[in-house]
Amino acid sequence: MTVTDVAGAPVAELSLVPKLFVTRAMDALRKARTLPAAERTAALARAGRIFAEETVDGLTFEEYQRTVARVSGVPMGVVRAATAAIIEATEVAPVAAYQARPVGAVDDWRAEETRRGSAVWTRKGDVFAVHAAGNHPGPHSLWVEALAMGYRVAVRPSRREPFTPHRLISALRAAGFGADQVVLLPTDYDAADEILRSADYGLVYGGDEVVRKYAGTRVLPQGPGRSKMLVPAGTDWRDHLDTIVDSIAHQGGVACINATTVLVEGDPAPLAQAIAERLAAIPSLPPEDEKAVLAVQPAEGARKLEAFLLARAAGTTAHLGGDGIVEELGDGSAVLRPAVHQLDRPDAEQAGIELPFPCVWVAPWSPADGIGPLRNSLVLTAFTDDEALIDELLAEPTISNLYLGDHPTYWIRPGVPHDSYLGEFLMRTKTVIRD
Amino acid sequence: MSTVDPLLEFPLDTQPDPDEFLRAALRWHFSPETGSPFWIERAGTLGFDPLTDIGGFADLGRFPNLANELRDVRAEDLIPRGYGDRPDVVGVYESGGTTGAPKRIVLLKEWLDRLLAWSSGQLDRHGVPQGVNWLVVAPTGPHMVGDVIKRQTAFRGGLAFTVDLDPRWVKKLIADGKTAEAGAYAEHIVDQVAFLLQTQDIGVLMCTPPVLERLARREDLAKLIDEKVKAINWVGTQMDADTRYLYRTEVFPKAHLYSGYGSTMILGNASERPGLTDDDPCIYDPFAPHMVFDVVDPGTRETVAYGERGQVVMHHVSKSLFMPNNLERDYATRVPGPEGVWQIGDSVADIAPVQEFDNETVIEGVY
Repeated sequence: MTVTDVAGAPVAELSLVPKLFVTRAMDALRKARTLPAAERTAALARAGRIFAEETVDGLTFEEYQRTVARVSGVPMGVVRAATAAIIEATEVAPVAAYQARPVGAVDDWRAEETRRGSAVWTRKGDVFAVHAAGNHPGPHSLWVEALAMGYRVAVRPSRREPFTPHRLISALRAAGFGADQVVLLPTDYDAADEILRSADYGLVYGGDEVVRKYAGTRVLPQGPGRSKMLVPAGTDWRDHLDTIVDSIAHQGGVACINATTVLVEGDPAPLAQAIAERLAAIPSLPPEDEKAVLAVQPAEGARKLEAFLLARAAGTTAHLGGDGIVEELGDGSAVLRPAVHQLDRPDAEQAGIELPFPCVWVAPWSPADGIGPLRNSLVLTAFTDDEALIDELLAEPTISNLYLGDHPTYWIRPGVPHDSYLGEFLMRTKTVIRD
Repeated sequence: MSTVDPLLEFPLDTQPDPDEFLRAALRWHFSPETGSPFWIERAGTLGFDPLTDIGGFADLGRFPNLANELRDVRAEDLIPRGYGDRPDVVGVYESGGTTGAPKRIVLLKEWLDRLLAWSSGQLDRHGVPQGVNWLVVAPTGPHMVGDVIKRQTAFRGGLAFTVDLDPRWVKKLIADGKTAEAGAYAEHIVDQVAFLLQTQDIGVLMCTPPVLERLARREDLAKLIDEKVKAINWVGTQMDADTRYLYRTEVFPKAHLYSGYGSTMILGNASERPGLTDDDPCIYDPFAPHMVFDVVDPGTRETVAYGERGQVVMHHVSKSLFMPNNLERDYATRVPGPEGVWQIGDSVADIAPVQEFDNETVIEGVY
């Protein structure tokens, strides 16, 4: 099948592997030997350098980045940041992955602690499968942690953007991981299920439906972020406007860690207006432009998103994008421009609508509303020092990450969890005592 | 007492004039003494006289597609009266039921003998050895394929081991979203195949692509198959070229892999054209003039150009059955007949099911 850029121009041909190939590849992963930890660490770091510095399969790093921007529509600056994060992840994955290790456990049965009896952190399985998303290269920095933990890994790339996993896996192979230790498996939907079925554990990206389907299984779903920001009374939003606007629009608004909803105690209108003014000033540029900020999509798809937004936003007050969010670039592609809508209550249904561009819902909130409207957030940035509220927010299971004070929702570093540590899902402790 | 036109029983090593053969068949099927009640009853409603208005295969399109009537017609009414009071019936068989209620057809011994003689010649051309045992993982009653292959094995001097497969049950499970149960059923099939592979001399394995895939997944069985089996015959659903290549080169490098394509409604099955390379599509040449294929544009019903895709139309013309213009569920590429071999009508390649057929969604599955 043909991979096209945002203007519909063909960029590459992607061959899909048949189910039988998947079965055999997964078998090979299962039979393979895991590299010793020290070799994994070295190979991962080497892979990062190859990824960044070498020509991989005919593409230089710059050509690769430009291609990713053109096919995914993610702005060039975001691609640079995301690919830098991937390179850093290969370097630090061996450390970052082990941040999840319980304090009572050691890495290796050879550790001195096991002579007295100690927990050892061990893999729950051998083979890990990833159904990657194509909206952003960033998530590919996560599964390298599984390699660091000693899993053999199969990645099914998104058809929209197969370049990042292809380059990363090529680099990992060149760096010393065997063909039976990490594989790229582009497939149709039927064979895609086979990849998950024949793996011990899996990771999938998708919407609410995917999350419901896989919740509580051996497959870890990564769903919508619905990240939020809370501006309580006593905090002047003017002091944090940069952080708020950045949280909405950084990375073109395509990520799950972009703010979807801003809740403000008091009248939301002035903040909504201020956000709208800032976002309105962002220029519309093709994704490969160094100054691009906004994401670009094929015009037809952009129009569908626009129609969806306009239909769902009915009854709200538009501060930006009320007439539409599509600006065509004339080559078949279109910039997804920001939208700012004001809601009249924090539990309005629109507050949970997350779209792949800077689309924010600004709603009133008061302590009487409680934390209900703050639930189901991948990231919640709360400009508060109210300890009772913080206690409550931290205890809330559906808030995955809590940022207090002036920290954008997209803040993330290797070594801190994105949505719990991957190691919490893939590893377990086992007691070992020896003579 | 009627006499049988020798044209209807032409020796297989001769080439009858196809149009004369067709006219002889029409005389047989539409004469009150020899025809079936099914056709004699319908003769008056056709709007033309099949005995005088049909000059040859080119005119066959005038007949309506009556295959849907096979869903509820009395099976007895399908047997030509010319076979007398004690026709030698092998069985009454049904279509898969993929597209609604099953259609029913009667298989007469006389036709089966002709079919086996012809298809056995095809197997010889594929290099399939005679005198070996077959492991047939296919549906038996009410479906035809199991019984026919059993008889074919006997015809070629081997024993047939059968593992029954109920495609309708699998399709029902898949339609209900019970994929795990469908998978468990398929594993049950594979378990039964395993016992036979482990204990018996199996020279030829016949199964569907989904079953073959599950066999390949079990390393011990894949090894056994490659050691014992001389030929693997896959039938029932399509297989993509990449998968075929993997089987030939990596999974079963020693066995000869070939496919078959047929339909209950033409009372038979054609093997893939011998000598095709991995880059060729799977081409099927029918048993002409008894089976005749056409590939049409589904909208206009016009025959498509060679190399174009369209929906498959099949005709069956023999002494035992006349069933023209049956629009099959499959899509195919229209291909000329094999060079140097006499054939009327087209060959078909790269079969794939139509997704929607007679307003029933086609369900493919383990079958």
